[in-house]
Amino acid sequence: MRILAIETSCDETAVAVLSGEGEVLKLESSTVRSQIDLHETYGGVVPEVAAREHLQLMMPLLHKEVAPDGKGIDAIAVTAGPGLAPALRVGVETAKALAWAWQKPLIPVCHLEGHIYAPWLTEIKDERGKIKVPEFPALALIVSGGHTELVLMTDHGKFERLGETLDDAAGEAFDKVAKMLSLGYPGGPKIAQLAESGDAKAFAFPRAMLDRDNLVFSFAGLKTSVLYTLRKHEDRLNDPKFKADIAASFQEAVVDVLVQKTLRAIKQVKPVSVILAGGVAANIALRERLDQACQKVGVPLFVPEFKYSMDNAAMIAVAGYFRALNGHTVKPTDLQADPNMDIV
Amino acid sequence: MTYTSHSAEETQKIAADFAQTLKGGEFVSLIGDLGAGKTTFTRGLVQALGGTVRVKSPTFTVMNEYPVDHATIKRIVHIDFYRFTDTSELGALSLEDERRPDTVILAEWPNIFTRNPIVPDRTILLEYRTIEERQIKIN
Repeated sequence: MRILAIETSCDETAVAVLSGEGEVLKLESSTVRSQIDLHETYGGVVPEVAAREHLQLMMPLLHKEVAPDGKGIDAIAVTAGPGLAPALRVGVETAKALAWAWQKPLIPVCHLEGHIYAPWLTEIKDERGKIKVPEFPALALIVSGGHTELVLMTDHGKFERLGETLDDAAGEAFDKVAKMLSLGYPGGPKIAQLAESGDAKAFAFPRAMLDRDNLVFSFAGLKTSVLYTLRKHEDRLNDPKFKADIAASFQEAVVDVLVQKTLRAIKQVKPVSVILAGGVAANIALRERLDQACQKVGVPLFVPEFKYSMDNAAMIAVAGYFRALNGHTVKPTDLQADPNMDIV
Repeated sequence: MTYTSHSAEETQKIAADFAQTLKGGEFVSLIGDLGAGKTTFTRGLVQALGGTVRVKSPTFTVMNEYPVDHATIKRIVHIDFYRFTDTSELGALSLEDERRPDTVILAEWPNIFTRNPIVPDRTILLEYRTIEERQIKIN
């Protein structure tokens, strides 16, 4: 089966073609056009601006990836949500039109499900020569600008949410602290870089919810705490050592909470694999700490390649492929973009 | 009216009471520092109007919308002007299209502009007192 996948949930326009047979997948092409420069002016993603850009890029991208008559494509997968409503609609309406014109099945995919499937895009083999992919039940920690959640995947297409953030997402906290430190946007990589030269123990920022026996996250209090620490030390705002210490201590607090909560979830649901997914999976400190923690309890950790932890259509194609295998297709007229779509 | 809140739960309760005074079509300004509780207030308001989706800070996405289940209000639009620098950038948001009788617009950081681009129907002022305590003024 050959799948065309489209992703436009935020500020990346992405198209991919993937073919699969049973469990064996082959990614034929994957293109991502980032709009990051465009949104830098606003310091955030403006939905209407993103949608206009998606509209402009969509047909040229498709033209490069597939034949105009859809020959050789067996199904079309598209991110139906969650995301920015006007941005999502560009991808969804394009996919609907193609499915209608080509008379092919249409597969709506949840963006978060796509992130969870990113580790399937690997060529790493085990000692028997089998591609190494997560086995079920798998525990997924999804961390991005919009999400921080723990999801249990019991089989293809079967998900259960164990916990999520009550307020800000972890990636959002990174962006806000970066702004407070005048580091610019996007904040994640800039904080991580600055943190390398800082002392992670310089400031004791709060680790919210760690004392509570649940799988719930909260990062709003941490953000506020960083802000008031900066206020208290206004005279040191131009001191590079001070800024590096703040960045390192802040990052340490986020990583601590993410790792501890994941360990707690491992204890609770006893998964046979752990997946780290979403844009913040690119954070080296988080990857390393989570990997050490998983090794200690003997559960393998799967982290997607960097290019597949950011938004892309290849991961949507994988999720769509397994959905198609299980007959999860819809009629083009029945699909609507759902900005608040849930994984379960 | 001026309230004192001692927790996020209390801030949400105050927001829920305020929600009962809305009919739809209002533009509400939410003014307060980072961490003062603007998003927490919005969460309480959306829940009180029958919304079930998770309210997230719109700092990164600039504008979120949440469906709600109320007799006359069907949608909350949650905007954050925090990253804007000039009112000339506002055209990108098509605000006039969002202003509808079945919609309440909540805007964080309208004070980032020297002059509020839209005259608000209601204004909520949130002030940080201590880690736990906030003063909330509703006009």
